[in-house]
Amino acid sequence: MLEKETPLLVFALRRLLSAIPTLLIVTLLVFGMVKLLPGDPARLMLGEEATPQALTELRHSMGLDRPLAQQYVGWLGSVLHLDFGASLKDNTSVGSLIADKLPVTIELAVFSMLISLLIALPAGLLSALRRGSWVDQGVTLLALSGISLPNFFLGILLIYLFSIRLAWIPASGYTSLLENPARNLLLLLLPAVTLGVHSGAVLTRYLRSSLSETLMQDYVRTAHAKGLPARRVTLKHALRNALIPFLTVFGLQLGGLLGGAVITEQIFSIPGFGRLLVDAVFTRDLPVIQGMVLVSAVAVFLVSFLVDLGYAAADPRIRYS
Amino acid sequence: MRKPFLSLCLSVLSAALIGSAAAETLTVGLDADPPRLDPALSSALVDRQVMNQIYDKLVDLDQNLKIVPMLATSWKITNGGLTYTFKLRGGVKFQDGTPLNADAVKYTLDRNMTLEGSVRKGELKSVKDVKVIDPLTVQITLSQPYGPLLAVLSDRAGMIVSPTAVKKAGADFQNAPVGSGPFSFTSRKRQDNITLSANKSYWGGAPKIDKLVYRPFPDGDVRYANLLSGAIQVMTPIDPKDVSKLSQNAKFKVLNYPGLGFQGIWFNVTRPPFNNKAFRQAVGATIDRQALAKSIFYDTVEPAAGPFPQGTPAYSSAIKVSRPDLNLAKQKLGGKPLSFTLLTTPGTVTTQTAQLYQAMFAQAGINAKIEQVEFGTLLDRADKRDFDALMLGWSGRPDPDGNIFDFFTTGGSNNQAGYSNKTVDALLAKARAQTSMSARVATYNVALGKILDDAPYTFVYFQRNLVGAAAGVTGLKPIPDGILRFSDVDLK
Repeated sequence: MLEKETPLLVFALRRLLSAIPTLLIVTLLVFGMVKLLPGDPARLMLGEEATPQALTELRHSMGLDRPLAQQYVGWLGSVLHLDFGASLKDNTSVGSLIADKLPVTIELAVFSMLISLLIALPAGLLSALRRGSWVDQGVTLLALSGISLPNFFLGILLIYLFSIRLAWIPASGYTSLLENPARNLLLLLLPAVTLGVHSGAVLTRYLRSSLSETLMQDYVRTAHAKGLPARRVTLKHALRNALIPFLTVFGLQLGGLLGGAVITEQIFSIPGFGRLLVDAVFTRDLPVIQGMVLVSAVAVFLVSFLVDLGYAAADPRIRYS
Repeated sequence: MRKPFLSLCLSVLSAALIGSAAAETLTVGLDADPPRLDPALSSALVDRQVMNQIYDKLVDLDQNLKIVPMLATSWKITNGGLTYTFKLRGGVKFQDGTPLNADAVKYTLDRNMTLEGSVRKGELKSVKDVKVIDPLTVQITLSQPYGPLLAVLSDRAGMIVSPTAVKKAGADFQNAPVGSGPFSFTSRKRQDNITLSANKSYWGGAPKIDKLVYRPFPDGDVRYANLLSGAIQVMTPIDPKDVSKLSQNAKFKVLNYPGLGFQGIWFNVTRPPFNNKAFRQAVGATIDRQALAKSIFYDTVEPAAGPFPQGTPAYSSAIKVSRPDLNLAKQKLGGKPLSFTLLTTPGTVTTQTAQLYQAMFAQAGINAKIEQVEFGTLLDRADKRDFDALMLGWSGRPDPDGNIFDFFTTGGSNNQAGYSNKTVDALLAKARAQTSMSARVATYNVALGKILDDAPYTFVYFQRNLVGAAAGVTGLKPIPDGILRFSDVDLK
């Protein structure tokens, strides 16, 4: 018996609703994990010069002397009102900090995913079509190097070459797109390439293997036998199917980048999400850590949600039930 | 033909983009993002780099650590060291136009002593009250004589804030600081930059640079790369490994001058194994300070014999750096086995140092395990005395008291060892109550003799200030507190 097909909209709503309990568990985990971290944020803020009296005062004003359950409920209550609290470091609201940093990282992530697609689509396609040839071997070798090359190394290498040796591109910094588009793109180029090379290499490997698998399927052989032009068979029939696993990996890569391209942001001194997180962890800025982890969880959920919807576009056989 | 043309185009394009910032902007690379720009709340060392340009202090330090006039043109110490009367400079205005007078000074000092969360309370503990005598005279009365007061006022406690601005900004003053210094606060973007602009009506004359930008680069290699590429013109600090490379490069210069702090190892004297004095002495005797300075720090640190670096007022050549003595170490151990855990923070230099210590201890048969925790946890465990031995130093203060009192008196806020010695307590209290520096130094030396023998801490090395700058930067003064002052700095 055939099940009745669920319309896309209902599926989307159901997916969104089912995220609520998951996100609640995430808040509990986030809160618990931050509390499990060793060290005392008040001690860290006062540093070397803390006197016991100043410590007690600060702990009280930070609410650290209240029972854990009370702290959690208080925090969750404000989060539901989209109030993530204020940074312990300088009293700025966590919401505005995130709103400030997230667009930078989103821009960097989108830019680097574009670069990675620019690398992966032609390289993966070429490699799968010429399987076993020297082109394929070359691409495989390059992709493996791209995957193995650590970000920090590639980043420093690019800085050395383009900033120090050639002096074409500044070594670090960030200007917003609205303020100065040309400078914005120039400054983001090296970090985007650093990130894009890695995910481009990963995606190349996935595209190659999934496309070569598809090319050996019966329906592809049938299409060839029917006398369809090879180009059409590859691009229309095979590539479309091969894109499904590719899309999953693409989503994962993008989700990871949104969670914070921590090392790359450090190397190029980009004031993004990843850097803020590292800084917050080191200074035990609890409200900032909690707010950021929560926002990352939502971002990863949203990306995977969009990827699910994207499947339908790539492959009409996928039905939502 | 095409390639040179392309690269020419690119260079012109990037020069236009990079060089669009005018030449009068000076960018300084720091090792951390300064958290709080409010002198009452600041607890990080790096805050002072920025705050020193925004705020003037009552007094300042010169290259020889002498206290020199700044907002106070002169001062008198009377009543057996209990009363300090400061004459203020006339006609000084804060960057927001508020006049700087005795009321503003009183307001600032009172705020430092009462504001919730103020980190200055400890330093100003001996202040009984602050009185306005006339608009340009202010008097501080102490409850007991406190020799280090002037030195304390040459740092954050003496930075005078604009009362108008504080009242207006409230808790947000740390993000909108106003002082009377050579540069005024323009903007900040966390983890990206803090921008200051020249205070054209500065009483000491307008600064030569128009804009001063601070940028944080936590990674030393990244900071170094940015200096080489011209993105920053000054960096502090330079990693020791890069010092010789940079000083051989004609486009740059290196300022390498003594600092005020010390580094070494604390022993927890409240529990075994280091409640045994002989064990502490044994560990101390294995350390080869020269070898450490050479192999890990490329000779950019000085072996230490106590808490007072050479060039500071309490330094005494009579106290000699101890040479490693394995026979002495073995003799102190008395054939008993000694194993302990050395607590430290992660990081290349700390890891290498800990491993070198471990190897040095092993030569005397002492077995040390290294445990690494991040800095906040280290401080927390130190407070709870939950450690055997730990590596922790001090950034240092210009007055000797700031390098010894809280570390070795019973219950002192930096006494990580839990060390207590009545004689030392009495001597250190006596030293801070004395007003003549030579008398104080003599007292410190007696106290130090006892502390070094008791060995709750092993002093290992003094760090130097390592600053890198583009060759065109002039006027940087090597003041041992490590804070760069930019009022007279120029960029050619």
